[in-house]
Amino acid sequence: MKKKMKILQVEGLSKAFGRREVLSDVSLEVPDDSITVILGSNGAGKSTLLRCVLGLVKPSSGTVRVLGKNPLKEPRAVLEATGFVPDHPDAYGWMTAEDLFYFLGAQYPNWSAERAVRLCEKLSVPMDRSFDAMSRGEAAKVNLAAALIPAPRLLLLDEPFARLAPPVREEVLSVFVEEAPLPGGAALLATHDLEVAARVADRVLMLEGGRIVHDARVDELIEAHTEEAQLTATLRELYPHVAAEERREVRCAS
Amino acid sequence: MDWKTDPARSLPPWRQVVEAALDAVASGELESGDKLPSVRGMAAQALVNHNTAARAYRELTRLGVVRSESGRGVFVTEEGPRLAREQRRAATLTALVRSFEEALRAGHPAEALLALLREERKRSA
Repeated sequence: MKKKMKILQVEGLSKAFGRREVLSDVSLEVPDDSITVILGSNGAGKSTLLRCVLGLVKPSSGTVRVLGKNPLKEPRAVLEATGFVPDHPDAYGWMTAEDLFYFLGAQYPNWSAERAVRLCEKLSVPMDRSFDAMSRGEAAKVNLAAALIPAPRLLLLDEPFARLAPPVREEVLSVFVEEAPLPGGAALLATHDLEVAARVADRVLMLEGGRIVHDARVDELIEAHTEEAQLTATLRELYPHVAAEERREVRCAS
Repeated sequence: MDWKTDPARSLPPWRQVVEAALDAVASGELESGDKLPSVRGMAAQALVNHNTAARAYRELTRLGVVRSESGRGVFVTEEGPRLAREQRRAATLTALVRSFEEALRAGHPAEALLALLREERKRSA
């Protein structure tokens, strides 16, 4: 079998804010043609990890390589190779999807008007409404479309389906699994939603208190645990903290 | 055709896609020569990773129920309906035998179980 190319390599990554250590000796590899899910409860370090990969946060120690490139030394190359779906819209409130796309189109050499039209139609993205006037679901759609349009080799997603109404969540999830990972690419998705993990992950990494405490390929989990049991239940057993948080969120949403 | 999988079911997601396809072909909902969604299209409808959808298609191809024609898509084979019915028959028989064994172990007399079967047959006839 062809050896898989590493889209992302993280080695011994640690990050402290003052005396608070948020990431501690995190190592992971993301091969091409795969979706890796980072599971963890709020505050486990998921967002900081994604921000280190993007070069938005400088690690205290350790290295990050995106397609072999250091995001702190070659930010341009890493940015061009990466699409990011943040957990809350990081566009200005007055911006419309059209404004955002205009702005992003200038930054990504791979930006394609054709892909933009196709994805916006598929996601029914509202083009002329400002972020301030959008529902959470609409903003999530704009963000997913924006990340996919330049066909990045590495797609990073931070809780992209959290707090969405079920029909919208399903719609966004459906477009995500149809499009990602892009050919020759990979996706790294942070979530505390075990059902999302059970559906989309090739591999699950559990982050707890800034450390990776568990690392499993989902097909192996299935072979080992689920001929009789259920995948979501297996994940719940393996990751009880995350399951507790999932229950809290369900209570909040209802 | 509803391909959506349920991760809370005991069957792994790729097996759920295989079962749904076998059911559709065995029941005639999909006929010989009918086109199935592409791998990515199936992923989107089943709400699974595309590798999971690809694994389901590999299994269906191995069973001879579908065939992928490069560039054109995935189609139900000529023999698909017969093979799918055989698969479904074999699988349901295995499940029935297992339930039977379980019922015997639980202490149901074999005669009572057979009587139940005869009754069920009368009802569905």
